[in-house]
Amino acid sequence: MKLETRNSKLHIGIDLGSRTAKFALLEGENVVRLAAHDTITFYKRYGRVEGDDLILDLAASSLFSETEIEHAQITVTGYGRNTLNLRGAKVISEIRAHVAGALFQTGLRDFTLLDLGGQDSKVAQVRGGRLADFVMNDKCAASSGRYLENMASILEVSLEELSSHWEEPVRLDATCGIFGESELIGQILRGHPMANLCAGVNMTLVKRVLPMLKRFPSDRIVLTGGVARNNAMVRLLRKETRQEIVVPNEPQHNGAIGCAFWGLGLEARE
Amino acid sequence: MDRVGFTTTIPLEILIAAGKIPVDLNNVFITSPQSHQLIEDAEIEGFPRNICGWIKGIYAVALKEGIREIIAVTEGDCSNTKALMEVLSLKGVATVPFAYPHDRDPQTLRLEMEKLMRHFGVERDAVYEAKERLDVIRRKVWEIDRLTWEENLVSGGENHYFQVATSDMNGDPDVFEAEIDAFLGELKNRRPYSDQIRLAYIGVPPIVEGLYPFLESHGARVVFNETQRQFSMPYGATDLVEQYRAYTYPYDIFFRLADILIELERRRVDAVIHYVQSFCFRQIEDMIVRSKIPLPVLTLEGDKPSLLDARSRIRIEGFLEMIEGRD
Repeated sequence: MKLETRNSKLHIGIDLGSRTAKFALLEGENVVRLAAHDTITFYKRYGRVEGDDLILDLAASSLFSETEIEHAQITVTGYGRNTLNLRGAKVISEIRAHVAGALFQTGLRDFTLLDLGGQDSKVAQVRGGRLADFVMNDKCAASSGRYLENMASILEVSLEELSSHWEEPVRLDATCGIFGESELIGQILRGHPMANLCAGVNMTLVKRVLPMLKRFPSDRIVLTGGVARNNAMVRLLRKETRQEIVVPNEPQHNGAIGCAFWGLGLEARE
Repeated sequence: MDRVGFTTTIPLEILIAAGKIPVDLNNVFITSPQSHQLIEDAEIEGFPRNICGWIKGIYAVALKEGIREIIAVTEGDCSNTKALMEVLSLKGVATVPFAYPHDRDPQTLRLEMEKLMRHFGVERDAVYEAKERLDVIRRKVWEIDRLTWEENLVSGGENHYFQVATSDMNGDPDVFEAEIDAFLGELKNRRPYSDQIRLAYIGVPPIVEGLYPFLESHGARVVFNETQRQFSMPYGATDLVEQYRAYTYPYDIFFRLADILIELERRRVDAVIHYVQSFCFRQIEDMIVRSKIPLPVLTLEGDKPSLLDARSRIRIEGFLEMIEGRD
């Protein structure tokens, strides 16, 4: 009986991102476990489609124990949201998941959320703990983590190396993320130091998200998504916006944690 | 009878009086099963990728349909129409320019309309007779619009269709009227919608398909289609020049907003979808729309004819959730 009560508070959150699938297990309001897998690999190994439903074999993935899967409420978000339903799970929108995650992780009630993922850039205005408005990148993904990955591979540096340079950024102006590659190659040929080239790439991303951020003036930006692990980007963003930048403990898992937390809130509401 | 194409709403009365078959090339393009192919055809011929899909669609469909004469609205719509007119004339299509004066000056508009009447060889009486005929049909479409927002009997997509079709009456006013009558008859047996969210759709009609049903599947219904409603000339004007001065679409954004703000309040709208076409100058006006409309606004962008894409659906879902959360 005691076990039942305890397990009824288990919540699994899954964020099926374009690049990485993120998982979170919450017991009440405690984060018990976090995990991440490459999305494509994860789908190939554990996913299949039946009719309009996506079936994920979570038991086989060994991310969660059978008891956990049996007792937890599962809430999911991510790129598959519109094309597929995950069988046995409550599906919520990405914006709802990320706002819930930011509220849970930071304890803040008023902020602008900037989520920079593999393909997405989202900016949401949160007032009094509720979503007030938001914008997302639409036709173009040059303001995303994928852009940083591409540019790191052109520069032949790791993402960690790329993320450590913010001083004297080399100017890069191409609108298109692909043309940006040849522009970067041109700057390499001009002999700029690697550090400044890396800083330039990080600065490009900041410049691309600034117009979206300007829509929602606030004192504080909560930065989430994989890109939030890029320290140089955080420094440049602080410098350009002159706002406080808050990075939660688990920026990349913010959506998955938000899903689980949203499920917890739903249980309370019901 | 000759078919005469046009690039956006023109004084339809003149074409009807002249005994021509009016063809709104936008409607023919977007309802064509090959609409996507038409864009590709135009691009293969040399239209840039970063030009409005409607311009390319109009170009390709005019040639495909063998339209020999086109009225091109050169002022009051986008300047791309001027170049469209030029490339069509290169293909042997006769083009007649028509300009809505930016300042809505009645004398200038009257001259433009008289020029069009002279071109088609029609007199004032015949034009007003045509207006009487068209107004009978338009009044029925106004009723469909009223039944949409006041009685909640009509879907957003149906409201869109009947209003947008008034630009050329589907090429045959009598057949279109019969279709309207049948629809109005059907409505008598309908139960009202009980949607949670009432939306306005403002901007040019969507190039993407499936927007209205998608909204309705999420408990939100469009009760105001701004531009489509304008096509039905819902002013009750007796004078033709006044009618086309009251028509908001070709004039500036502030004139359009005055109409929009009245309707948002009258129809008890909760939130607004501002549709903008990729590469359209009206995307700039989104800044003004957002600052002047006191309701949540979602700006949706469409490029080519296709089903509503996954990203737009994600954004709409987030938007609707946000509206629901406001109560």
